[in-house]
Amino acid sequence: MGWSSQQSTRLHLEMDILSRYFPTFFLKDSIIPGHAIIEGTLRSNAGHEYIVRLHVPADLPNSVPIVEIVSPVLRDRFGHSLADLGTSYPMHLLKPENGVVRICHYSASHWSPNITFSKILLKIRAWLEAYEGHLDSGYAIDHYLPHMTA
Amino acid sequence: MTPLVYVFEEQVRDLLSQAGDVRLLDGVAYGFDDWTVFHAYTEKPSFTPSGHICPCVAMRSDATGFVDEEKLMLQVRSRVDPDGGPIVVLLVGTGVADSPSCRALVLTEKGVAGADTRFVPRRSELFSRNTGLLETSALAEKKVVIVGLGSGGSPIALELARAGIGHFTLIDFDRLELGNISRHVCGVNDLGRYKTLAVRDQLLQKNPFAEVSTMEVNINQALSQVEDAVAASDLLIVASDNDQSRFNLNQMSLNNNKVALYGRAITRAAGGDVLRVRPWKGPCYNCIFSSGLIDGREEEMSQKRQALAILPAYVEEDKINTMIQVGLSSDIAPIANMMTKMALVELSRGIETGMSTVDEDLASDFYVWANRREEAYANWPRMGFKWTHPSILRWYGARVDRDPNCLVCGGHLEEEPAT
Repeated sequence: MGWSSQQSTRLHLEMDILSRYFPTFFLKDSIIPGHAIIEGTLRSNAGHEYIVRLHVPADLPNSVPIVEIVSPVLRDRFGHSLADLGTSYPMHLLKPENGVVRICHYSASHWSPNITFSKILLKIRAWLEAYEGHLDSGYAIDHYLPHMTA
Repeated sequence: MTPLVYVFEEQVRDLLSQAGDVRLLDGVAYGFDDWTVFHAYTEKPSFTPSGHICPCVAMRSDATGFVDEEKLMLQVRSRVDPDGGPIVVLLVGTGVADSPSCRALVLTEKGVAGADTRFVPRRSELFSRNTGLLETSALAEKKVVIVGLGSGGSPIALELARAGIGHFTLIDFDRLELGNISRHVCGVNDLGRYKTLAVRDQLLQKNPFAEVSTMEVNINQALSQVEDAVAASDLLIVASDNDQSRFNLNQMSLNNNKVALYGRAITRAAGGDVLRVRPWKGPCYNCIFSSGLIDGREEEMSQKRQALAILPAYVEEDKINTMIQVGLSSDIAPIANMMTKMALVELSRGIETGMSTVDEDLASDFYVWANRREEAYANWPRMGFKWTHPSILRWYGARVDRDPNCLVCGGHLEEEPAT
């Protein structure tokens, strides 16, 4: 079963917004709900580039999309792979899949269908700045990005 | 005391309609109160019965080969081995004006005793406020989908069955656990069962002829299956315990132009809210969720699974456990009752059921219930004797319009989907 007409409309809306604010992001494998991904590059203020992948949920826009940093392999200030940390409260990380880091951006209790992919990528962009801050200072990411209240 | 035997008239009629030489037929009976009351069935009942099981045999008294009761009893004794318990014998026939008749005998070690027999009326006679099982037939053709059969959804289902709703689809993938019992319509004899199936049995106790289908699925993972059920219904009732399911059901309600009712309790059931979504005419669930109206009104967490579903994996066990704060069954009851009333109003449109004045009063689509002076109501004045200030134990309707910026039902959609 493919996307419903409402979901197709929403996907177009999402891609329209992304084309304005995150033009490197494009839609892959969009035909089958649950398999579509949006991928692109985010560049930090320091000029480092990260390939970010957003999994479009099958029940778009009703659940929280998974967001991964595909490359480079992220390591903490001490050289350990972030994926090895598993789920991490101070680093805003969810359980990694296939060794790829997954960022905790919105929890299910804060999710609403009004949140667009663009808003998520803004949060990921902020996470990357905080990550680079961690690399410089050693502070955990939640030093820079306090958690949303439950 | 003369034993009392209840028999389903529909089953007796079925037996009488069978052509040919009907001899002894094996049925089943359930006894109560030291074998003084029996519920006898000539066919397997459609719901899970209660009572102590004992054999039942039935025979048409007009059947070829029927001679007298004494010979019949000999036949019965040779047929069943009741381990000393009673055997219920039904002799069915045709009485005045071709109406069915049934005589019951109870066979024990002491001998044969005649029993008083009463019919559970057939489907066409169910609806009579004075003599039938249900009050009205007006809503017998209505179809309701209920998602979530916990402390909120299960009493709504039961009340709608009492009101004569004839068709139900019950959706939930949870099983009944010990911690559920105190707030649920089902009891310890249903422990471990799917809530859907346990509640189905409760509904059939109220209306044995209701059509009840069940789906033991997580609706977030069975979207098209659930949407098919919503499309075939007259009303969607959402008593699930997470926003993802409500968002998905909201979309289904809009897609299929079906009115939906959403209800929930806030932490420790200090209050609650009920939303009616009239697709494309009033606010949808997302309009309300994004309006700020429910900010600071955290949903009650009644079980660990519910908390785990919305919290990130790194949240510690202690925090999860502190979030599980439940109210009493009597705290949930007003919310379930309000949803039942609103359901009956919606289902009664165009039908005379006496709900029209309630419809006039329920002008709002969003209602807030203030239950105790805690949580969101901690600073409210005491109820006292004044009518002029807000108080607990009252419902408050809020005027809420559709949000033109809602990304689900708002302006980005060029037109309503055709249904």
